[in-house]
Amino acid sequence: MTDTKAPYLMTDTEKTIDISKLDQDRFRSWPYSQDVCLTCGLCSSACPVSGIDGFDPRKIIRMVSLGLEAELVEARWPWICTMCAKCAVLCPMEIDIPNVMRGIRSLRPRNEVPGILHKGVEAAIKTGNILGLPKEDFLFIVEDVAGEIAAEPGFEAFTVPIDKQGANILSTIHNKLVNTHTEDLKHLWKIFFVAGENWTITSEAWEGCNWGFFTGDDRAMKLMIDRLAEQLTRFEIKNLMWPE
Amino acid sequence: MITYIKDKRIKLDKTRNDALTTYHDPCNHCRKAERLFGHGYYEEPRWILDQCVQQWVEMYPNRQHQICCGGGGGTLINGYNEERIFYGRTKMEQIKATGASMVVVPCHSCHGQFESIKSACGMQELKVKYLWEVVADALVLPGCDS
Repeated sequence: MTDTKAPYLMTDTEKTIDISKLDQDRFRSWPYSQDVCLTCGLCSSACPVSGIDGFDPRKIIRMVSLGLEAELVEARWPWICTMCAKCAVLCPMEIDIPNVMRGIRSLRPRNEVPGILHKGVEAAIKTGNILGLPKEDFLFIVEDVAGEIAAEPGFEAFTVPIDKQGANILSTIHNKLVNTHTEDLKHLWKIFFVAGENWTITSEAWEGCNWGFFTGDDRAMKLMIDRLAEQLTRFEIKNLMWPE
Repeated sequence: MITYIKDKRIKLDKTRNDALTTYHDPCNHCRKAERLFGHGYYEEPRWILDQCVQQWVEMYPNRQHQICCGGGGGTLINGYNEERIFYGRTKMEQIKATGASMVVVPCHSCHGQFESIKSACGMQELKVKYLWEVVADALVLPGCDS
């Protein structure tokens, strides 16, 4: 287990705070009940990353209540949090802690969003998918995988339905399945085939991931959802299967 | 999927999945779905596992108190990899305690996280499969008896 040590645990981040900077009204309009925190610490006890950089959920909630915006926005911790909601399940005051983290993320300037997250959002806005994969390449990949399935005994009649009018299920595709993990496209498609399902994928707006959710970008998140809804309307599809 | 099985649209042979298996509840399917939509998908995947896996055991804690994989919320792609592996250590200990050699999960993020950190946690032999993957592995094709 030597590789899972965290050398930055219990980093001393205690700083003297200039109380003239406290702004208890700053986040009062957020609908996440952060101001009713009892400071019981159940959230921090439940969280596997309490202590990294000296932060934990309780501390973040108190900082939001006190309006310490600059410190929150520059902190790595709200991005290390997975927004898994184990804290929120335990919170006796039902504070929506994951959405507080997402709210803090939304305040970062977009060019300071960590990793490839915002690049993915930009590609998705521009091209409809996070990879920026052109439509012809996407179609080549899915047809290729369909051909591999059809080469297996019992699946000779398999084809992948694309933009099928009136399908019962629209199955979105996680971008990694048309990138590095194409084998994993096959499981669900085989089940649909054997079950005789009336299913389809779409040639546009097929992206099953919505990174605007991760970066706190409501506008991008809504745009991606609107595009999926458009596909459902356009092809008169009854159900959306969106496993991400 | 449950409808396919109950209506006999697909037939499954669970002896094809004979490794001791455990199941991980992803946050979005369980506690977050329960909070947002009033229903957490706890029992549905467990029923499906009963149909396609010979023997599986629960982790503890489970359902709404399941420990997070550590790979959600964008952490697989934000560059904080050392922190993400550290996050997942509790999860991997929880899997190890079941004695299972395979973990089944219905979420792309959890799947990616398990595959990504299992070696760092000394569990390189652990098999990680999607729920629909173990169903596909157990599929009996029409006209075949086994």
